[in-house]
Amino acid sequence: MATDSDSIQHADPDLRPAIDRSLRHPVMFFFTSAAAWLAVALVLGIIASAKSHAPEFMGNIGWLLYGKSQAAHLNTLVYGWGCQAAFGIIIWLMARLSRKECRNPGTILVAGHVWNFAVLFGVIGILSGQGTGVPWMEFPSAVWPVLLISYVFIMVGSVVQFRCKEGGHTYISQWYLLGAIVWFPWVYATSNLLIFTFDGHPLMDAAINSWFKSTFILLFFVPVGVGAAYYLAPKVTGRPVHSYSLAQMGFWALAVIGPWTGMQKLTGAPIPQFLPYVGAAATVLFFIPAVTVAVNILKTVSGHNTTISASPTLRFMIAGIIGLLVLGSIGVCLNFPSSIKYAQFSFAGYGYEILAMYGFFSMCAFATMYFVVPRITRREWLSRRFIRWHFYLSIYGMSTIVICTIGGGLLQGAAQEYWNMPWSDAATRGYAYGWGTTVSWLFILFANIFFLLHLLLMWARLGRRSQHPTLLSKHTSESPHGPEGDIDEIQAANA
Amino acid sequence: MTFRIFSLGLLGTFLWPWLLIIVVPYATMQRIERVEFNEEDDGRTGVYAPARPGRVADGAKVYAANGCYACHTQLIRPTYAGSDVWRDDWAGMKKTESNEETRRETTVYDYDGESFAQIGLTRTGPDLSNIGRRVESYVKGTDTTDEEWFLMHLYNPRGGFKYWSACPSGPQFFDVKKHYGQGNGGGLAVQAPEGYEVLPSDEVRALVSYLISLRKDDTVPYSLNYRADKKRAIEQ
Repeated sequence: MATDSDSIQHADPDLRPAIDRSLRHPVMFFFTSAAAWLAVALVLGIIASAKSHAPEFMGNIGWLLYGKSQAAHLNTLVYGWGCQAAFGIIIWLMARLSRKECRNPGTILVAGHVWNFAVLFGVIGILSGQGTGVPWMEFPSAVWPVLLISYVFIMVGSVVQFRCKEGGHTYISQWYLLGAIVWFPWVYATSNLLIFTFDGHPLMDAAINSWFKSTFILLFFVPVGVGAAYYLAPKVTGRPVHSYSLAQMGFWALAVIGPWTGMQKLTGAPIPQFLPYVGAAATVLFFIPAVTVAVNILKTVSGHNTTISASPTLRFMIAGIIGLLVLGSIGVCLNFPSSIKYAQFSFAGYGYEILAMYGFFSMCAFATMYFVVPRITRREWLSRRFIRWHFYLSIYGMSTIVICTIGGGLLQGAAQEYWNMPWSDAATRGYAYGWGTTVSWLFILFANIFFLLHLLLMWARLGRRSQHPTLLSKHTSESPHGPEGDIDEIQAANA
Repeated sequence: MTFRIFSLGLLGTFLWPWLLIIVVPYATMQRIERVEFNEEDDGRTGVYAPARPGRVADGAKVYAANGCYACHTQLIRPTYAGSDVWRDDWAGMKKTESNEETRRETTVYDYDGESFAQIGLTRTGPDLSNIGRRVESYVKGTDTTDEEWFLMHLYNPRGGFKYWSACPSGPQFFDVKKHYGQGNGGGLAVQAPEGYEVLPSDEVRALVSYLISLRKDDTVPYSLNYRADKKRAIEQ
C-alpha cells in the first residue's frame, strides 16, 4: 500500500498541471460567466431593494416592477452566479482530488452554454411577465428540464473521475462534493415535477417550494462551499485538517438534518401540522453541522496569522466560514416557536437566504477562484488592491445587509404582530432598513465590479507572468516560491 | 468511509425525509375530501364548496407573474402562530350592527381554483386573504364600485388614504387611448392628456376579478370552525 500511494505522489507534480490544462476552458467559462451573472443579479437587487422603500423609483418601467425585478434578482443570483460558480469548483476539485484529467471538456462547455442560455431565457421570461410565481423557481416552466439535462452533462465527468480514481484515500471534500452532486438533481427534479407537472394540492405545492429553497441551500451550496474550504485550509497552510473524524461527523450531521428543513415557512397554514415543526426543528439543528465545520476549519488555520493576512484565498475562506457560523446561529434564532412568527413574513427570510448565498457560499467561491484561476491560466492576479477592495467592500456590505434585513426584519415582524396598531405602522417600519440594504448592495456591486474586471483580465491571459503568487502583504526577501521572474522563462531554463 | 457506506448512508438519510415530508403528504393532500354540513351542527346539509366567482385561474396567473407574493401574503394563521385573526378586517369582518361575525383562519379549501397557494414571502403590504370583502366595506355608501376602487388603487396605490404605501403603481396595466365621441366607457377617473382616456387592460381586469374573489364571508361547517365561541345548530 505504501508503495502504491508513493508512486501516486511521485506522479503529482506532472499530473497537476496536466489536470489544470485539461480543465482550463470549462472552469474559466463557468467562473467568468458566473461573475457576469453576479453583476446582473446585483444590479437587479439594487433596483428591487430601492423599489421596496421608494416605490416610484423607475416606476414607469413595467418589466422592472418590484415583484419581477426581485424574482429576477434572486434567480440570477442562484442559477446564474451560485450554480455556475459551484460547477466550476466541483469539476476542478473533483479532478484534482481524484487525480484524473478531464476527458470531456467539450461536453462540459456545450452544456455550460446551454445552462447560460436557459438562465437568460428564464430571466427574460420573468421580466416580460411569463414567470411562474413560485419563489426561486420563477423561470417559465419550460426552463427547468433544460437546466436539469445540462446539469447531468456538466457533472457526469466528475462522477466518473471519482469512480475511476486509483487507490489512495478519499478525502472529505470529495464526499461533500459527491453529496452535492447527488442531492441537487434529486431535490430539483422532485420539486419541479411535483409543483409543475403533477396536479397536487396548491398548499402542498407551496410547502414543497419552501422545502426546495431550504434544501437547495443546505444540500447544494453548503456542501460545495464546505468541500472547498476543507480543500483550501490545509492546502494553503500546509497542515492537515484538525480532526478528520469531526469532519466526517459534520458531513453526516448535514446529511441527516438538511433534508428535513424548510417547511417552517408555512407555520399556521392548513397542512399536516408536523411539517412546519419538523422544518423548524431541523433548521435549528443545522447549527450542529455548521459549528462542527467552523470549529474544524478555524482550528486548522489557527496560528497561521501571517499566512491568513497575506493569502487572499484564506481570507475569503475564513470570512465564508464565519458566515456559515452566523448562518447556523441565525437559523436557531429565527426558528424557535416564540420567534418564528416575527420572522415568517418579514425581511428576515430574505436576509437568511442572502447570508447563505453571499455571506457564506460566495465568499468560499471567491476563495476558491483566487486559488484556482492562477493555476489554470498560469498567470498571477494583477492587483492586490483590487483583491483588497473586493474583500473589504464585500464584508462591509454583507454585514450591513444582515443587520438591516434580519435585525430590521424582526422589528418589522414585531410591528406586524401589534394587531391593535394601524397597519401603516408595520408597513412603514421596514423603510429605513430598506435604505440600508440598498446602500449595502451598492457596496457589494462595487466590490464585484473590481472582481469581474480582474477576472476578465485573467481570462484574457493578461495576468502577471510570475513565479510569485499575488499576496496581500509586501513580499519578503525569502520567498518559498523561488526567485521572482517570468514563470515560462524560468520553467524553460529549468527543463 | 467507503463508497458503499456513503451511498447507503446518503440513500438512508435522504430517502426517509423525502418519503415522510414530501411524497406521502403530497399524495394525501391530493385526495383531500370535501367536508359536509350536517343538520345537527350546522342546521343544513350539503357539501362545503366555497364559491369563488370571477376569473380566478386567469387572475392568479397575473398575480403570480407580477410577483405580488413578494409583499402580500394570503394566510390567516391560528392564534398560536400569529395575531392575524385580530387585525382589522384581515380574517373576515368583525361583528357589528350590519355585519355578521365572519373572522376565521385559512382553511385547506381557500385556495380552490388555484394551482399554487400564494402564501407569500413578506408582509411589506397587508394580507390579502379577505381583500375582496374589505374593499366592499371601503366603497359601501359611495358611488364607486369595488372594481373601480381596485383599478384606481392599482393605477396609483398612494392616491387614496394609503399615502404611505410602498406598493408599485402599475401604469403598464393601463392603456392610454384616444377618446372618440363619448369614449369607450370604463375609463379611469384620472387625469389624462386632452382627448385621451386611461383604460384598464384585460390583464388587470383579470387580476381585479381575482382579488375580489379573495374573501372570508362564507359560513364554514362546524368542524372547520376554529372559533372558541362556536355553537352547534341544535344548541342555538
